[in-house]
This record gives sequence, C-alpha cells and structure tokens, in this order.
Amino acid sequence: MRKVFLVVERDVRLFFQYKAMVIMRAIWFVSQIAFFGLIASRMVVIADYFRYYVGGLATMTLYSAAVFIGFDIYEEAEHGVFEYLLSLPVTRRELVLGRSIGGGLRAFIYVGALICISLYVIGVANPLNFILALFSLFLFAFGVSGMSITLAVAIKSSDRFDILMGVLDALMVRLSTAMYPLNIVKEANPFYGWIANFNPLTYASDLFRWGAGVEAVLTFENPLLPLLGIVLFFAFFTFVGIVLYDKRIEGGGWQ
Amino acid sequence: MPPIIRMENLTKKFGNFIAVDHLNLEVEEGEILGLLGPNGAGKTTTILMIATVIRPTEGTAYVGGYDVRKNPDKVRELLGVAFQEPKMLWVSTPWDIVNWHAKVCGLPTEERKRRVKEIMEALDMWNFRHRSVHALSGGMRKRVEIAKVLIQRPKIAIVDEPTSQIDIVGKHKIWRMLRELCNQGTTIILATNELYEADVLSDRVAIMHRGKLLVCDTPKKLKDSIVGGDVVEIQFETDPSPKMVEALNQFKEVVKIMKTKSSTLRLYLNKVEEIVPKIMGMLMKEGASVSSIHMSEPSLDDVFAHYTGLTLEEAQKEGG
Ligand SMILES: Nc1ncnc2c1ncn2[C@@H]1O[C@H](COP(=O)(O)OP(=O)(O)O)[C@@H](O)[C@H]1O
Ligand SMILES: [Mg+2]
Repeated sequence: MRKVFLVVERDVRLFFQYKAMVIMRAIWFVSQIAFFGLIASRMVVIADYFRYYVGGLATMTLYSAAVFIGFDIYEEAEHGVFEYLLSLPVTRRELVLGRSIGGGLRAFIYVGALICISLYVIGVANPLNFILALFSLFLFAFGVSGMSITLAVAIKSSDRFDILMGVLDALMVRLSTAMYPLNIVKEANPFYGWIANFNPLTYASDLFRWGAGVEAVLTFENPLLPLLGIVLFFAFFTFVGIVLYDKRIEGGGWQ
Repeated sequence: MPPIIRMENLTKKFGNFIAVDHLNLEVEEGEILGLLGPNGAGKTTTILMIATVIRPTEGTAYVGGYDVRKNPDKVRELLGVAFQEPKMLWVSTPWDIVNWHAKVCGLPTEERKRRVKEIMEALDMWNFRHRSVHALSGGMRKRVEIAKVLIQRPKIAIVDEPTSQIDIVGKHKIWRMLRELCNQGTTIILATNELYEADVLSDRVAIMHRGKLLVCDTPKKLKDSIVGGDVVEIQFETDPSPKMVEALNQFKEVVKIMKTKSSTLRLYLNKVEEIVPKIMGMLMKEGASVSSIHMSEPSLDDVFAHYTGLTLEEAQKEGG
C-alpha cells in the first residue's frame, strides 16, 4: 500500500508541474461561470438554471482534469519513462492502481479549489449530503483516470488518442445531465436520454447537485443509484486498466 | 556459491529479427560483469529482459533464484537499473527524480536524505538539483540516471553505458563509484561498447555480437587466450646474431619473430609481463646490448577481432 501511495504522490506532483495548463484551466472554469453561465441562464426557462449549470461545470472540469493522465502516459512512452516504471520494485497492480488513484486525486485536488468557487456560488444546504457527494466525485475521478489509462494503453497512438478523447469529451458531456436535465435530453431524443441514463458524468453531476442542495431538477430519486453506477464505473476501469496495462505496455509500438 | 543470475537460452525476437539469440551466461555474486559489444549487439535487450521490462521470446533468466517469467515481482525487488537513455519527464527536476526513486526502493528517510545529498554532490549535481531536466545537458541527464542506482545500492545493479556522453573526469569518478558500490556487496552488470571501460571495470567480460555470446572470461584471460597477441620490440645496439634469435625462439611463449629493421626484432608472444623479465635475463647473460624495449598487450579489441574478424569500430558501423 505504501508503494501505491508513492505512485499516487508522483502523479500528483507531476500534474502541478504543468503550471501553464493548470492556470489556463482555472481561467477557463471561472469564465464559464462568469460569462457563459450567467448569460446563458437568462435564456433558459428551467428553474435555477444558473446553479444547475455551475454544479455540472464542476463535474465537467473534474472529468477533463482526470482524463489528463492518459496524455501523461504518451509523454512517458516518448521519454521511455515506462520502462523505468516497469523496472521498479512495484507490482503492476500497485502501479496501475496508484496511477488511476493519482490521476483522479490530482484532478480532485485541483478541481477542489474550483468546487469551492462553485459552492460559494451555489451554497450548501446539507453538509452531510455534501460529504457523500464529494466522496462519489472522488470515485468518479479515479474511474475517469482509470478509463483514460486504459484507453491510452489500448490505443498506443497519441494522435488517435487525442482525437478520441476530444470526441469522447464531447459525447460524455453532451449526452449527460452536466448541462441540461434528463427530461429535456429525453424530449429531444429518447435514445440520447437512454445513453445519458448510463453516463457516469450524469451520475457525478447529479450527486454533486444533490450534495450541494440544487434539487430543483434531480434525475434520480434515490442517490444510491448514481453512487452505485460510479462505483461500478470505477471498479471496471481499474480492473480492466490493470489487465491491459500489463498486457499492452511491453514491446513499444507507441506512436 | 550459485550464480546470482543465470540466463538459459535467453532469446528475444522482434518480428523475425533475433535481437538476443539463445544466450547462456552466468553472473557471479559480487562481481562486475561487463557486457561488451558494438551497437545493436543485443546488450540493452538482454538487460531489459533481466529487469522484467520485456518478456523473453524463448528461454529465461533466473535472478537471485527467481525466474523472470514466473516471479517478476520478486526479481525487481533485487534490481536497480540505470538505463542507456535517461528515462525522465522533462518537467521533473533531478532531485524529484532521485528522491522519489529512493523512496520507492524503500530507503529509510534519514538514509535517503543523506545518500541523495552525498551522491548528488559527488556527481556534481547538487547545484542543479532543482532545475528542470529540460535545461540539463545530455551528460547531466546521464548523471541523474546513474545517481538513482548509486543511491539505491541494490543487490544487483544494471548499468547500461553508464558513462556515455560524460566527460573523462566524470567517467573516472563514476567508475570509481561503481567499483565502491561493488565492494559494498552489489553485483553489477555493465553494458558498454567502450573497450577501456569494459577492461578497467569488469571482473569478467562477456563479449556479444549480433545477439550471440562469443566468449566470457576475465579481461586478462581473454587477452592471453589470443595466441601471439602480445608484441615486444627489442632494439639492439648492433645486429643480433642468429644464435640470439634462435635462443629467443626457444621460449615456448614466443610465437613468431620478425626482423623489422636492421637491429630490431619484433616478437609475437603470450604473457608478455611474465616472459619479458626472462628474456631480459637471457639477453644480459649472453652479453647483448639492448638500446630499447617496447611492449604492447593485446586489447579487448584484438579479442573481439579474433572472434568476429571485425574491429569493434567496424562492427559499430555495421550495427548502426
Ligand atoms: N523494440 C524493438 N523493436 C524492434 N527492434 C528492436 C527493438 N529493440 C531493439 N531492437 C533491435 O535489436 C537489436 C539489439 O538492440 P539493443 O539490444 O539495443 O543493442 P545494444 O544495446 O547492444 O546496442 C538492434 O538491432 C535493435 O535495432
Ligand atoms: Mg544499448
């Protein structure tokens, strides 16, 4: 477990060494709230849309920060850091677990600051709910980072990964309740709604809103449902990540 | 004592290309084993298989009794690797890299702090420790790479061309530190394509070419094994008599005698350091007047050439 922790530490430190990226995203986040959120919510008829949007924005940002670990993997492949990591007295399982936790945790630490901004905007009704919501966001971030690692080692081409992540980001965000309530998605197209129903970003956004007390439009009556979804999401990609990482990482072929 | 590493038909193919070809080699505990060969000989590939970074296509290796195929986790507990190409992200700093490495390898806090400082100072890196790798020269990056293993003091250290890109003063420093590491009980595998490095540092040298092991022995025995590899040139005040030439021919180590100039003989022989005093004694007894003697030993290059018909330099070009 100590070694998992050290792998986590490494990934967290690495992230904050990309200072420009960290600052740019913070600026993006704040402007989304200050401009898009404020202005767009004036056109939307849904009750309390501004707070709804800010809640979704927090999970969207968490998602894109957690995905970042996949790009690290390419950077590492390019500099041969992989071979180094594979030569260490750390098991493959510790390595992948550490990395998906590290990738999630650093996103969480980072977005944590932004979440505080959103909370200031939204306000918290019930602290206990909020802690549960934070915990689920935690797992969500680990799951996303595990997914990113899995895809990165499965694809092995940084160009294709880049494109795929762009597309995936668009689909995950658009076909979730990050920006609009489920019933509106369903009205637009039942198939879209069906996908949004199984989207971990939906679960995360909803739990966060539930925790923060933005309850005007909740997707799920029972918060345990999305929580279960997130746990499954996390477990699946951590497991698949471990198996794939071990199988695919050897032998080069990285582009 | 059983060998600490035993390779059994260790083989790696990349597609149809055989990078390492049925290698059978043992490394004794506490020795420095030089793996000498031109670029492309398969040294790095061999090392990566031992370090469980890549899997053998065929055969296997036992490290500390553990099979690299079956117990890779156990194998890695024993190892420290300094790679040929420094493996680091450019946003990191040398201190971050070596300190984290020491943590992962389980050094206790106090010892870690002390050793990180000690080794970084010894390698003249302490003042650069907080620069990003991006701003460091190739030689500096290489030092960071080797520092990891020197700090770690693993049971088995694998160093792949540890002093390439490093200046001559730095090379000597690193050689001395590697020797010290070995004296403290670490077994070292040293992959290199530098003859001098292999010669001065290794207890035994395994010569590789095109994925195959040609020969493995102490540098001295390897050189001695080349019949007539040593050369002694004796310059006399006057032309040596045929009787004198005949007397020199009587030494069983002398393989061939050539008269190069009117008063100079060139002797091709073995074990130059043992035989020259005897020759000198004989010449004194016979009352010959010698004006100068020049000796040269065969180098590992001669050994390499003996087995491949190529000098190491020619083989480098071939290997790319
Ligand atoms: N991942 C790889 N894919 C294909 N060929 C490789 C790979 N790694 C090494 N080789 C080839 O295997 C041969 C041996 O390489 P290497 O072990 O690096 O030699 P050395 O370290 O002795 O210079 C070279 O011809 C090299 O091109
Ligand atoms: Mg090499």
